[in-house]
Order: sequence, then C-alpha cells, then structure tokens
Amino acid sequence: METLFAVLVGLLVAAGVFLLLSRTIIRVVLGLAFVAYGVNLAILTVAGLRDESPPLLTLEGPYVDPLPQALVLTAIVIGFGTTALLLTVALRAYQVAGHDDVAAFGDNLARNPDAPDGQHADPEHLSPDLPEADHADDTAVQMAEFERLRRLTR
Amino acid sequence: MNTEINEVITSALPLAPILTPLGLGVLLLLPMRRQWRVALALASALLTLTFALLLMNATVGGVLVSELGGWKAPYGIVIAADRLGAFMSTLSAICGVFTVWLMAAQPDPVREEYHSFALTSFLFGGVQLSFLTGDLFNLFVAFEVMLVASYALAVLGSTREQLREGFRYIVMNLSASALLVVACGLAYGTLGTLNFAHLAQRSAALGPNTTVTAVGVLLLIVFAAKGALFPLGFWLPGTYPAVPHATGAFFAAVLTKVGLYALIRVFTTVFNQDPQLPNTLLLVLGAVTMLYGALGALSQREWRRILSFTVVGSVGYLAFGLGLDSPDALRASLAYLAVSVIVTLAMFLIAAVAERASGTRLVRARGFIEFLPLLAACFLLCALTVAGLPPSAGFVAKFDLIRAGLEGGTGLAYLATASALISSLITLYALLRVWSGFFWGRHPRDEPVRRLSWPERLPAYLASALVVALALFAGPLLGYARATADDLQSTRYVVGVMGDQPLDLPARPKGDEVQEKDDAPNTENIQKPQDSP
Repeated sequence: METLFAVLVGLLVAAGVFLLLSRTIIRVVLGLAFVAYGVNLAILTVAGLRDESPPLLTLEGPYVDPLPQALVLTAIVIGFGTTALLLTVALRAYQVAGHDDVAAFGDNLARNPDAPDGQHADPEHLSPDLPEADHADDTAVQMAEFERLRRLTR
Repeated sequence: MNTEINEVITSALPLAPILTPLGLGVLLLLPMRRQWRVALALASALLTLTFALLLMNATVGGVLVSELGGWKAPYGIVIAADRLGAFMSTLSAICGVFTVWLMAAQPDPVREEYHSFALTSFLFGGVQLSFLTGDLFNLFVAFEVMLVASYALAVLGSTREQLREGFRYIVMNLSASALLVVACGLAYGTLGTLNFAHLAQRSAALGPNTTVTAVGVLLLIVFAAKGALFPLGFWLPGTYPAVPHATGAFFAAVLTKVGLYALIRVFTTVFNQDPQLPNTLLLVLGAVTMLYGALGALSQREWRRILSFTVVGSVGYLAFGLGLDSPDALRASLAYLAVSVIVTLAMFLIAAVAERASGTRLVRARGFIEFLPLLAACFLLCALTVAGLPPSAGFVAKFDLIRAGLEGGTGLAYLATASALISSLITLYALLRVWSGFFWGRHPRDEPVRRLSWPERLPAYLASALVVALALFAGPLLGYARATADDLQSTRYVVGVMGDQPLDLPARPKGDEVQEKDDAPNTENIQKPQDSP
C-alpha cells in the first residue's frame, strides 16, 4: 500500500513540476494544484496506511491516527483558497496582457522604467491602474514652486 | 483574585498582537469614510505595537504560553512567546505603524477601494502569528495567512509590472509552501508530534538521526525560499519595487525576516542534534547571498531595486551568523536582525520621499541636497548603517558578526567572513553612488521638483531617528540579544511550553475501551504511535 502511494505521489509531483515549467500561465496554475495533491497524499502516507485500522470509534481498534487527516483537510482548504487567488491573478494577467504566455509581461531587467505602464490589450476589461497623468495638471504649479526654491537657494 | 486576573492576562497576552490586527482588519472591510478607515487602521497598528511591547516586557521573566481551547501543550495548538518571538513581534509592529502612516499620507483611491487597508491589517496579523506560534503546522498556516494577504497586495492595482512580478512571487512561494507541508508531514511521521517544544524533546531523545536531519534540511530549503537566500531569492528584487511605497517598505523590512526567524527557531530550538549539514549549508548560502546582494545593488539604477538587493545582502549576513553556530554569532545575528529591520524600513521610506519628489524611480536627478537636506543626511546615515561603518548601529552589529566569524576557526568560516567584508565594501560603494547620483551635484533646470507635504516626509525622518537610537542604545540592544541567545541555547523554551514534568501519554484507544473511564496512562514513548519501520 505504501509503495503504491509513494509511486503515486512521485507521479503527481512529477506531473506538477513538468506543468510548472511551462510558459503558459494556466498550466502553471494546474501544475501547482498537482503538486498540492501529491503533497496531501504524502502526508497520509507517512502517517501510516492500514487496511485494518478503522477511523471510527464504534468498530474494533486499533484506530488510525486522526491528526494527519486534520492536517490534510487544512492543507486542502488552504490550497483551494490559494488556487482560487492564483486563478484570479491569471485571469487578470490574461485580460491586461491579452494572451496567457508568461512572455506577455516582458523581460524583467531589460525593461525601460520610463515606458508607460498599463497599456491594455483588452479594452473590455481595463485594469484599475492609476492613470499615469494624474499629476500632469499641476506641472505649472510644480515649475513655479521649483523656480521659487531655486531662487531661495541661490 | 489578583493572581487569577494576572493569570488570565498572561495567558491572553500572546494572543493579543495576533487577534488585534485580524479582528480590526475585518472591521476595516466595512464601508466607511476614508478618515475613519485611516484612524481605525492606525489605531490597530498602534494597539498591536502596545501589546507587542507589553509582551516583550512580560517575556523577560519567562515563556508566555497561551493554550488554545485549554488543551495542554503536545495535544493542542499553543501560542508561545519567548524573548525571540516577542522581540520580532515588536520589530514588525513598529514597521506596521510606519506602513499605515505612509499609506494614510499617500492617498490611493483605487487600491483603497479594493481594501488595501484591510489586507495590510491581515498581513500584520499573519506576521505576528508566525512569530508567536509554537507549532510547526500552525507555522504553515501563519505563513499562508501572511502570504495570501501579501499576494493580494502585490497584485492589487494590476499594473503590468505588478502582475508579472506578483505572479512569479506567488508561484515561488506556493511551491515553497508545498515543501513546507511535506516537511510537516515527514516531521510528524518521524517524531509523532508537531509542537516545537515536543519536537525538540523527541529529537533530543532520538539523538542524531538522518531522517530528522533530512526534515531539517527540507525546512531550511523552505525558509531559504521565503527568506530569499541566494538561488531561491530571485523573486525579491523585482517584486518589492513593483508594489506601492508603503506596502513595499513593510514587505522589505519584515517578510524576509519571517523566514529567518523560522530558521533561527528551527535550528536553535528544535532540530539542534546534528547541526553539521545545516550549518555548512547556511554558511555557504549566506556567503554567496551577501555577494549576490552587493553586486546586484551595484548593477541597478532604480531606487527601490538597489535597496531590494541590499535586503538580499542583509539576509546573507544573518544566514552567515546563524551558520557559525556559536553563542557569540547568534547574539550578533540577533542584534543585526534588529538593525536590519529598522534600517531597511528607513531606507524604503527615504526612497518613497525621493521617488515622489523627483517624479522618477531612477536615481538620476542630481542636486537634491538643495531641496531636501535633512533627507540627504538621513540617507547618508542609513547608507553607513547598511554598509556597517563606524558611527552607526550597523557597525556594532557587523563588527560583532565578523569577530564571531574569525573565532569560528574553520576554513569555510574564514571564507564567509572574507565574503562579508568584501560585500560590505561593494554595498558601501553602491549606496554612495546613489548619494552622489541623487543628492550631490547641481540640479538640472528642466527637471521638476515636487514638494511633498510633511506627513509624507516625516515617517522617513522618524525611522532614521530610530536608526540613530539603535546606534545610541547599542549596549542595551546587545545585552538583550545576549539574553535572547542564551535563552535559545538553553532548554528554557522547551521547559516553558512543556513543563518540567515527564509527559504521560494516554494509551491508544481500543474499540472496547471507548465507554470506560479508566484509560491507563502509558509512560513517555519516544517511538511514534504507529511504530514506523
């Protein structure tokens, strides 16, 4: 039983890692879900799997340890939450970038930091970016202030 | 009567810094005017700080334990505060107050509509829970509470940059969390418990054991990913500059330190039987991380990217100090931890003012010493602290660390010490380049200068004042660090949580004994109940 589960855990994690290395965002999300399932099975396996130990107190013991099941339950709930969040982020990324390849977001270090950030490929779903020009209207005020400061410091 | 009240207070105190931000964070979700929301968030942060300070005062005498649901230590989850936990809790609460202040001073209608205040409050709650929990699996839950809030804050606003960096950050941390769950499962499978103190007792009874060492190294990998040690910290320098200033300051100052706190807790209190392999790993990773951080800081041109790389560097110093594994090195690391949290906070607040005043994220505009002379002074002081030069607290802590490294004696320790000295020099050069690029020189005429209101500038000055205070009170700081290190080296935490009586585990229930009252207590058995092969 343990051997079977060990192989199963290995397969799930291998599939998850394979998907994680993909360039497509949704595959990355699915890969993380696979890894999470593998991990949950791993906890059940290390805690001991027996056919003869019933989980209920109405039958003859010795009973199976209930704590790993509680751990797995917690891990499943948390995994559900984080997967939902990650899917939302993936959807948002798709809406903002227009396609679901990780290259859509550009390279990290070769980025021009002065380029306007927040061009939307999908006009139906605008992201709530702060408009870049929210300070543009008071440029005249700033320039006057700047001149005043220069006069002060001269 | 009086002692009863005292007992209630001491048992509730470790819970207070956790429940305050979580509870008030829920209230922050209600629709209300902005000033009410700001007032509530600020009150929550200040209240958390008060409770954390009370906790720090109370833990001088011993470990404070709060048993959830009244279940004693190995059976239920405990919230346990010792000196280290209370110290970290206070440091993060200080950062929390500054963060809320800066968020209030920089109105951001879009993000506030999507509950950035509530998410920040949940983030504080998760951080406090990770510092104060006494249970390995609960540490995972605390990490998730903290990280889910930070994921949401990292992508809130959905700019391209935030989505790109945030997605990488989320995927990296979720993978690390999966490993943490595996480590929890393996620890339970090997030692049959998840309580830190009980784990420590059982691994001490088991002696050096390869499976336990493997679990320890697995935990090291997890916390190295969360704390951004070298090969696993690639997500950090991109993520922190992508988020708004206030949130970025908290992320940079506290989130990596949570991973380091977990490393300290696990390798001093829990799995300290076979320290050879983890210490070697920490020394090597620490030495490489320092150089990576210093060279990375040198290669960048943006304010917060440079500072993010100095954060990576500081993590390297802490791993180095922890890997030396001597009482002096531990004391030096704890002092450096405090200095690093406060100075990173100050640096990011200074960067917030500088970026807003110059209107660009690049360190490009020159001559700002004309417009912001006090900020220039603060930056120079913080730069000296980060690099570790004399009139600063950074010097005191780093000197202690280097001395411990030279006393370490092994070739690897000498190599890591050399790396520490070289990367300090490179960090100093990188930060002085910022100084000469931004503050020094003559301001070009065509570049605008934005004037900032005082509530926006004051946090940077106050945080710099805290850095000065750390330098002035370096003696008490090192004294506290010494006492904390002594606590961690002794079995005080274990005894404080588990009591000094040997533990009576009840026998495993059989089906026929269910209705009967008497279940004969068994003596302490080291082997796990399922007797693993």
